[in-house]
Amino acid sequence: MSPETTTEPAAYSLLDADFLRRLERLAILAKRVQLGHIKGERKSRRKGSSVEFADYRDYVQGDDLRHVDWNIFGRLDALYLKLFQEQEDLTVHLLIDASRSMAFGKPGKLAFAAKLAAAIGYIGLVGYDRVSVEAFSESGIFRLPAVRGKGAARELFAFLDGLGAQGRTGLEQSCRSYILRNRSKGIAVLLSDFLDPSGFEGALRRLSQSRCDLFAVQVLSRDELDPQVTGDLKLLDSETGEFTEISVSPSLLRRYRENVGGFCDAVRAFCMARDIGYVLAPSDTPFEELILDMLRAGGMIR
Amino acid sequence: MSRFDTFFQTLGNTLDDWFLAPPFLWLLGLIPVVILLYLLKLRRTEVIIASTLLWLKSLQDLTANAPFQRLRRNLLLLLQILVILLVAAALARPFFRQEGTAGRNLCLLIDRSASMSSREGDTTRLELAKQCALEMIREMEKGDKVMLVTFAENSDVLCELTDDRPRLRAAVEGIEPSDTRTRLRDAILVARSLKLSVADLHVVVIGDGKIRDLPEIGTRAFDLTYLQIGETSANAGIVAFSMRDPLEGQDDEQQQTFALVHNASSDPLDTTLTLSFEDTVLAVEEVHVPPGDDSELVFRHPELGRGILRAELDVDDALAVDNSALLAVQPIARIKVLLVAEPDGTSSYFLQRVLVPDPRVELSTLAPTDYTESSEYDLTIFDSFAPASLPTGTLLYINAVPPMDGVGVEGTVEHPAIISVDSEHPMMRFNLNPSNVGIREALRLVVPPDTRSLVSTVGSPLVADVSRGGQQILIIGFDIAASDWPLHLSYPLFFQNLLAWVPRVALASEASTIAGQSFAIMPDPERTSVSVTRPDSSVDAVDLDPLRPVFYANTEQTGVYAVAYGDAVLFHAVNLLDRTESAVAPAESLSIGRAEIAPERGRVRQNRELWRWLVVAALAILTLEWTIYCRRAWI
Repeated sequence: MSPETTTEPAAYSLLDADFLRRLERLAILAKRVQLGHIKGERKSRRKGSSVEFADYRDYVQGDDLRHVDWNIFGRLDALYLKLFQEQEDLTVHLLIDASRSMAFGKPGKLAFAAKLAAAIGYIGLVGYDRVSVEAFSESGIFRLPAVRGKGAARELFAFLDGLGAQGRTGLEQSCRSYILRNRSKGIAVLLSDFLDPSGFEGALRRLSQSRCDLFAVQVLSRDELDPQVTGDLKLLDSETGEFTEISVSPSLLRRYRENVGGFCDAVRAFCMARDIGYVLAPSDTPFEELILDMLRAGGMIR
Repeated sequence: MSRFDTFFQTLGNTLDDWFLAPPFLWLLGLIPVVILLYLLKLRRTEVIIASTLLWLKSLQDLTANAPFQRLRRNLLLLLQILVILLVAAALARPFFRQEGTAGRNLCLLIDRSASMSSREGDTTRLELAKQCALEMIREMEKGDKVMLVTFAENSDVLCELTDDRPRLRAAVEGIEPSDTRTRLRDAILVARSLKLSVADLHVVVIGDGKIRDLPEIGTRAFDLTYLQIGETSANAGIVAFSMRDPLEGQDDEQQQTFALVHNASSDPLDTTLTLSFEDTVLAVEEVHVPPGDDSELVFRHPELGRGILRAELDVDDALAVDNSALLAVQPIARIKVLLVAEPDGTSSYFLQRVLVPDPRVELSTLAPTDYTESSEYDLTIFDSFAPASLPTGTLLYINAVPPMDGVGVEGTVEHPAIISVDSEHPMMRFNLNPSNVGIREALRLVVPPDTRSLVSTVGSPLVADVSRGGQQILIIGFDIAASDWPLHLSYPLFFQNLLAWVPRVALASEASTIAGQSFAIMPDPERTSVSVTRPDSSVDAVDLDPLRPVFYANTEQTGVYAVAYGDAVLFHAVNLLDRTESAVAPAESLSIGRAEIAPERGRVRQNRELWRWLVVAALAILTLEWTIYCRRAWI
């Protein structure tokens, strides 16, 4: 296997000026689109029920000033936002697989997944949706509690930037605990390579029991999709430590590619059967392109 | 023999058909070693990947984990094995047989011995051999050279290595048959010495392989082709023929003639043998010989006198020359001996006592005072007397020294003790040992340094051979009468040896000569040359040497050679008398040294070796392997 496939940090930080600039552009593009517009009934319900008052909440930096209750500000000299009950209280759940296997690839799959999550989260924040992030592996869970408003973007980016890949994959266990803890409606986006020795089906089945609209983004590196390897190799599994000896031959490579394709197809088929949106995201794809084209094709953004 | 032995023998024979040096195929044993080394040294690059999940699945599909599966895919190893295969095969010298001799330098050794005169249909073997040689000359390509050597009893180089085809053709057509035995050694030596300078020389022996001296040719491996000529084996011949004088003391006093008939064919022989002397038939005897066996015939007849005794086998077979045998019967050779001694001396008495009883001796006695030089004696004995000049013939000086440079006397020795005897000298045959002879007084002889001392005492010889220039001269350095020598057994034996040493006796007593070998022509004081009439009536003039015999070697034809000394004619019989030549069936193989050379028939097929191509292929593959190893672009 090519020597590039090693654990390496993200090529650039999520807080990079460049990245932020690109997100900004994306956000402008996203102005006209809103998250959660897949289902027709949701769209109609939001139109008719956006005037009923429900609650106040504290203003946080970045919230739209149009939603500030200026009356309260006049009386109490404090900024509160008026919330309306009928307006969909949409939460974007970003579930990121942070097992060791996600550390591989060029660019790294975890970094790529983090970028995708940042983009989706940013779009969500711009659209006044709550965004919660949970990165999990068998060795632990890193959680960003739900944030709202554009001002939380830095917090979101800082959290995503600090993610590290470690431990084995425990997709099903992690998803189950997440579902038990978060009952809110919304969109759940699972970013993973789905390379779990115990299978990916359990995790998706658990998630589909939630009330969220589900999206599965399968992040795979180019090396995994189309390996360029030669010679006699001893392959070490980054998570289990098990090794496999191979002598690369054209037929073996052909067989491997068939298996990768078959694996992706199996994930896709499983998702389709359960009304889960599915996107295959090779980690070397430009992420703007992926957001705009692939997520749209996947039905996540209109 | 177990099944394994049979198997390995069959395998060995098969390999011999394909390889000149099959032992090198053991190098193929390196292949498992290389595979083993490869398996042991197969160092895998360790690579950490995200998950081996998909690879495992792929491997399970392929079951590519098995070692041989791995090998199958490894080009480098395959190439290494291929290189070993090619190198081992090249060292084992694979070859294929190709007809014709074109493209090579040839040394043709053509047999023209007696057996090559065997009839094959309406031609002879020699003619067939010549046709084969002409065919090879016709097939010569530009740049090819051929050398022509014939062999029989002697070998002759007819043409040195040349590409002059007309000359080669003329030389082949001029080959004449001979009636001699076959000796190949000289021809092989010629070919070997030529091969030193012409490396690709191919030696072809054209003949029937009936060769006497094969074991003498040596053990060095020699690459040659044996082109077998002839098929027939139907032949019988006389392989021995001799006559014995009547034994003294026997009553009948008859001469005995002995003939041995060999039947080399596969059928029994029933015929007659006729023995005739000059033109008179002495006896006709029936001969019955089983196939491959001998029959011995003995004839008794009165003493014949002088003439040609002929044995004739009445048979019409492949080889005619061995159906008759000849003997030139001579009267017993007379040795003319002159004894110069005091007539009444004791030593003269002892000398006459030992010489007179011998039937060969024609003794004349002279007193020293009456001596005049004469050349008519074969042996002259001077007793205590030496004339001023050396007469001709064999000379014995007793108690005197010949007038020769470097020979003299320095006083006397009292009671000399005999301390050494030269038992190698022909005079000392029959283990003659005079060491217990008592001598009262002897001359202290002075002889040239290269003189052979037959019997010596301290510091000087007692009996010395001072022969020079072919003339035999002996000195006995003491007076016989002043010793007890005549009372010892060594005394008569010494004089027997002396008479046998005289050339006329030593050489002229042979009644029959083997074809190709020489016979002696004795010196004749009255002539400087003689004429030899050969069996085909051609005449050779031979110059004589006054002092020693001349050897006449032009005896390739069997028959009677008449040596004419003026009117007197001496006959010599030349015969084949050879069992190897009479057994005309062509030899199944030639064993030269350790090699057993199988015959070729009709046309020579030659080994075209392939090792050069294999080496080139091995080098090419080695280069390819190195390139791949360096690039490892695709495996």
